[in-house]
Amino acid sequence: MKVKINVNGEDFASDVEPRLLLVDFLRDTAGLTGTHVGCETGSCGSCTVLLDGRPVKSCLMLAAQADGSRIITIEGISKGESMNRVQKSLSESKALQCGFCAPGIVITASWFLDKNENPDEGEIREALSGNICRCTGYQPVVDAVLKASKEVK
Amino acid sequence: MNYSQYTVHSPQTLNEALGILKEKQSEVRLIAGGTDVMVLIKDGVLKEKELLNLSYLDELKYIREDGNIIKVGALTTYRELEKSSVVNLSAPILVDACKTIGATQIQNLGTLAGNLGNASPAGDSLPPLYVLNANVKLQSAESERIIPVSEFFLGPRKTKRAPNELITEITIEKAKPGLHYFFKKLGLREANAISLVSVACIVDLDKDKKINSIKLALGAVAPTVMRAVKSEKLATGRQLDLNLIDEIARGVSEEISPITDIRGSTEYRRRAAYGLVYEGLYEALMGTAKRVSGGIEGVY
Repeated sequence: MKVKINVNGEDFASDVEPRLLLVDFLRDTAGLTGTHVGCETGSCGSCTVLLDGRPVKSCLMLAAQADGSRIITIEGISKGESMNRVQKSLSESKALQCGFCAPGIVITASWFLDKNENPDEGEIREALSGNICRCTGYQPVVDAVLKASKEVK
Repeated sequence: MNYSQYTVHSPQTLNEALGILKEKQSEVRLIAGGTDVMVLIKDGVLKEKELLNLSYLDELKYIREDGNIIKVGALTTYRELEKSSVVNLSAPILVDACKTIGATQIQNLGTLAGNLGNASPAGDSLPPLYVLNANVKLQSAESERIIPVSEFFLGPRKTKRAPNELITEITIEKAKPGLHYFFKKLGLREANAISLVSVACIVDLDKDKKINSIKLALGAVAPTVMRAVKSEKLATGRQLDLNLIDEIARGVSEEISPITDIRGSTEYRRRAAYGLVYEGLYEALMGTAKRVSGGIEGVY
């Protein structure tokens, strides 16, 4: 079936199998492998992308369900080679270890900070509750997002 | 990932969807937000080979006020309910419940009708729907009917929806301003955890803390979500105090029929239900429970 999905400002039109997952569309059809595939059951959050401005887990959607929508992936969350404030803060704080969960955490945290000016730690933890990290124990991630929230956009 | 082959139908209108359903009946699996169905596909346990993708039926995405009723289109997501001013003002217990479902990313996809259609006894939006006297509208190509949510479920994963019918709307009654309410859920963690026990309660207390009326619904403790009608009855008209709270909570823990499964034992669930009911009513007694703010129609 034919779908057209705008990813990071670029239209990708393709004839795909109806069973194709959105995450596989992004990785294989659009060639954007920054979005990671973890559990494939909607638990881990590493495949999080913005669908029409809202974070969703791209392993829980068919590409067919995203036809006509606008997706932002980790490749499109900041301009060019630069990093946004969440990416910078995570990097500077060395908040992540293996990095597998990083794309999903960056997407979710960036969306959250865009909507919340002065979040407290509890709100950040709630926002990130759908993103699992098996390395850090979360505290450095939460600290880095808190630090990023104080930076200018 | 090598998923098995599926045919996906993606109707653009409700009429088109009902037409497909009339023809295909139980050969198609309905998929809305997909947060349950996609997991079944991944696990290879979905028996249907065709999917009826409801994502494009924008006409079923709405929240409207109609006097004392709030009409919710079947494909309204949890997030949209959380953000709705009328739901926050007059059915805030549903907002609290939606906020506990999965996590942000799930709430952006999952739909109210999906939680109903999936018919898990642990569906977290369901206990609030019971205490808000929700009705479920079912439409087929030929007819439509309305069923109270309390009669909609036949058992785990079983509902009264006929194979040619689609859930198109859920209506809920506005709760009166000033009523105390609580939604409490116990799971292994706060996010992405299936409820072990959940409790939704709306209680009408007069100024001397006498119970004018009380509605209690519980999830994950019986084959379907259930109202604790015996306990509601024993509480009505009586003075809320610590003794009565203990009596109600004990009543609830005896009235439910939980099973032992991977998440918890029968005995644990009874104790947990006691604890959640006790805690919520204690907060109502102490005046720290949340209250319905209401708002006069049209003056939000």
